[in-house]
This record gives sequence, C-alpha cells and structure tokens, in this order.
Amino acid sequence: MNIIETKKLTKYYGKYRGIIDVDLQVEKGEIYGFIGPNGAGKSTTIRTLLGLIKPTGGSAAIFGKDITKVGPEIKEEIGYLPSEVFYYDDMRVIDLLKYSASFYKKDKKQIEKRIQELSGLLDLDLKKKIDDLSYGNKKKVGIVQGLLHEPKLIILDEPTGGLDPLIQQKFFNLLREENARGATILFSSHILSEVQKMCSRVAIIKEGKIIKIEKISDLIENNTKRFALETVKKADKKDFQIKGVDDLVITDHSVTFLYRGKINDITREIAKLDLTNISIEEPDLEEIFLHYYQR
Amino acid sequence: MNIFWREIKAYRKSTIIWMLALSAITILFLLLYPAFTKDVESTRKLLSGIPAAYRNALGISLENFFTIFGFYAYLFTFVLLAGAVQAMNLGVGIISKEDAGKTSDFLLSKPVTRTKVMASKLSAALAILIITNIFFTVASLIAAKAVSTGSFSLKKFLLISLVLFLVQLFFWALGAALSVIIPKIKSVIAVTLPAVFAFFIISTIGAVIGNDNVRYITPFKFYDFAYIIAHNTYEWKFMIIEAIFIIIAITASFIIYIKKDVRAAS
Repeated sequence: MNIIETKKLTKYYGKYRGIIDVDLQVEKGEIYGFIGPNGAGKSTTIRTLLGLIKPTGGSAAIFGKDITKVGPEIKEEIGYLPSEVFYYDDMRVIDLLKYSASFYKKDKKQIEKRIQELSGLLDLDLKKKIDDLSYGNKKKVGIVQGLLHEPKLIILDEPTGGLDPLIQQKFFNLLREENARGATILFSSHILSEVQKMCSRVAIIKEGKIIKIEKISDLIENNTKRFALETVKKADKKDFQIKGVDDLVITDHSVTFLYRGKINDITREIAKLDLTNISIEEPDLEEIFLHYYQR
Repeated sequence: MNIFWREIKAYRKSTIIWMLALSAITILFLLLYPAFTKDVESTRKLLSGIPAAYRNALGISLENFFTIFGFYAYLFTFVLLAGAVQAMNLGVGIISKEDAGKTSDFLLSKPVTRTKVMASKLSAALAILIITNIFFTVASLIAAKAVSTGSFSLKKFLLISLVLFLVQLFFWALGAALSVIIPKIKSVIAVTLPAVFAFFIISTIGAVIGNDNVRYITPFKFYDFAYIIAHNTYEWKFMIIEAIFIIIAITASFIIYIKKDVRAAS
C-alpha cells in the first residue's frame, strides 16, 4: 500500500493555477523528494494533502484513507514542518511544544521524553519565549514540533532554510533515524543537492504539473553542473563538442557552460586546457529546467 | 479541551482588565447617585431644562432617573457600548488571530477537526464573557445596594444587568461571522469599532427622532430599560430576533470556516 497516493489532484485558486493533475505514489519507508522552482506548486500539493486547502479536482489518500473524509485520524500520524514557521508569540517554547503534544493520543510521557531528546540534540532552549527566538531557532521548534509524536509520515516543506550547516547535518541524521525506524518522508525542496543527499526517488514539479519522476541514482548519473573556467587563451568551441554541454559561452579568457553527464568525461577534456581558474557549481533548478526539462 | 484552555489563558490578562474597567466605571457612577438624589426637585428642574431630544439621546428618562434602577439603566448605556466592544473583539479576534499570526498551518495540521477548533474557540469566548458578566454584576450589585435608599428589587437589578450579556452575545456572534467572512483581518479593532459605533449611532439617532423601528436593527435598543423597569421582564419579540440572528451568524461562521482554504503563510 502506498503511504501517499494522489490521482489527478488539482487545485485552482479561483482562476489561478495551483496544481494540475498531480499523480504521486509515495511508498512505505521511502524518502521521497519533491522538487521544483518557487511557485511550481510544491506547497500547494502539501497543503492540500494536509487538508489546509481543499482540492478542486482529483483525489488523494494518505495511509489509504481519503484526505477529504478522514482528516484528524490521518493527521494523528503525520509530522509537518512548513517552510516558514509561525507560532504563538506569547508562549514559551515548552508551552508551545506541550500544546502541540496535547493534540495527539500518544502516551504523554513518551512525548515529553522525546521533546527533551530532540531539543537537547538541536540545542534548543525550552524556556525562551517564542517571540525572542531567532528564525533558525523557531525552525528548530518546528522540527521538534513535527517529530515529537513519532509520526509514520513526515512531510517537510523546504525545511532547511534558516538552519546553519551543523544543525542541518543533525537534522538530516535525525530524518535518517526516523526513516530507519520506519517513517516515510516527503521532502520538498528547491535545492537539488539536499534532495540528492536524502531521497531515493524524486518528483519534479513545474508550473503545477509533475513533469518527471526519477530515481535519484539516475539523476546523479546525469549530474548537472555549471562550469566556469578562466583560460589563458581563448578556448576553441570545438573542444566542447561533448554530449551534455549546454548554454556554452566563450569569451577571450573565460568559458561557461552547463554540463549534464558523467563527470569524468568532462574533466578529461578540461584537463587539456590551460586554466587559470575553475569553479564548478550546482546550477539552480531554474537552469536545469530551462536547459533540460523544457525540451 | 486543550484549545479552550489555551484561549482562556491567552485572554486572561485582557479579560481581567475588561472586568476591572467595566466594574470601576459602574461603581464610580453609582457612587454619584446620592449626589443626584439629594435634591431631587432642583435636579429634575435642571434636567427638564435640557431639550427632550437631547435627553432622549442621552437616555435620560425623567420618570425613572431618580430611582436607583433608572439611574443604573442610564449609565448602563455606556456599559453596553464598552461591553459590545469587548464581545466583538473576542468574536473577531479569537478566530482571526490564527490567520493574522499565520499559526493556522500549525493548528490545522494537528489531528483536530475544524468544527472542533471553532467550537472550542467560540465557547472559550463565551466563557470569558460569562466570567466578565458575573464579576461585573456582583461588583455593581454591591455598589448599587450600598447607595440605594428606597426599596431594592434584586430581580429588576439582575434583569437590567443581564442586558449586558445579551447585547454581548449579539456582538460575539457578529464578530465570529465577520472573522470568517472578511478575508484578511490585520487589526481586530478596525473591524470592531466601526461596527459597534454604527449600531450605537443608529440607536442614538432613533432615540432622537423618536423612530421605534430602529429597535429592530440595533441590539442596543433590543432591551428597553423603561419597559424592563415597568414590567419586570424583557420583550420576547426582541429576544427572538436576537436568537435568530445569533443562530444564523454562528451557523454561517462554522460553515464558512470548515470550507475555507487556509491562507498560505508565505
């Protein structure tokens, strides 16, 4: 049985497109990536799954239950971390977490223990007022709040914004532990590399439609990088007639291009050139979409 | 019950302030009663010198003004005005603050139905109003008894006092309905004050021009104090009008809230 299954799930905000005919099947125990540029419909899909907004067409089921019919029962087993977290400013962190815990049927003592564990791990001060927290610390509250009831399904909507690299690392480890425990994870992001790091499969969404569902292993094989080279002499266009090179721009002392393919193939070619500098970067998704998925 | 208690706690401070303010004004006013009644004849003369339209607008009735109930009823006009603001602030705020504070995503992604959220919040607001009324009534009862000279009818006093709660119920329901109808409420008071004052001005204008039809529109005139003092009861017609309004407003607020899309935080 699929943990999440949507069939032609559609949401229009009045005349405006949210998502169109989204078909997703997230299997049990999977870490499923959900990737696309801003405004593509990631949050709309997630918020529809959570019942925050109502679909205008199609259907969706979580744990095999229709989301429009059995909300609370499903949400008992979901942990949700939104991209931007907002909590009650008048509360202290511990009050908020206890309030959050009070909604679940699970054993309160166990939840309390989990709160202590998680906040210790993330270095979160429970006594502080929500209002006084930095953005990153609010995000930590969000993580604890989303995981304290040991949910079977964890839904993350661009979760890493505002977290420093160290905490991000801890957070990813935490997710892997939860996954090992049996939790299924839906991980939405616009950062390809973090999805690559975490996920087994990824759905790519663009302008409200799922344009591709790929295994991460395939994605990595077709690794896309942006190369920027500084050359001593003006490079010859012919040197770059390699499959996978795109958006090639050559000036007197520089060469930039996108490359999608096996890294060894391109580094071998580059090694033949006389370079003064090189940078290889993760292209942003827009670029990838622009040059590969649009065709 | 967790949402209910959370709201009671969140409104604790403001409720205490409202209770104290309402009671303090009333007690202060009641303490002036002996001064007005010391020389009834000359005060009556003074008041009858004021044009009738003006007297009506201020809610001063020459027959009743010098009894403790007439006096209490007179100052009650202002208690109602303040009480209406409290009730509507609650009705509007208790629901719309989740939207304004962008906490709806948090609340509604928990295992709880929207019906339950709404019911908990509205009953918390109701409980706050009941507590306010009990405190207010007891405080003003003590003050009224202390200054009253003639015979004192507890029933009359309670009937007048209960009007506060009845009028507050109207604004509580109106606030709840508006909080789900108006798409983006940034400031609760910007919704509350115009609405309350509109109803209050309608009732004042009605009193000045002597038009009784406004009584059907404004809750401030549903319960006529002269009638209550004379008959020891309310006019059922207006109670039914109010009941119908409340049922419609509350039902609508539930239906709209359940169907509504939660606005995205970002």
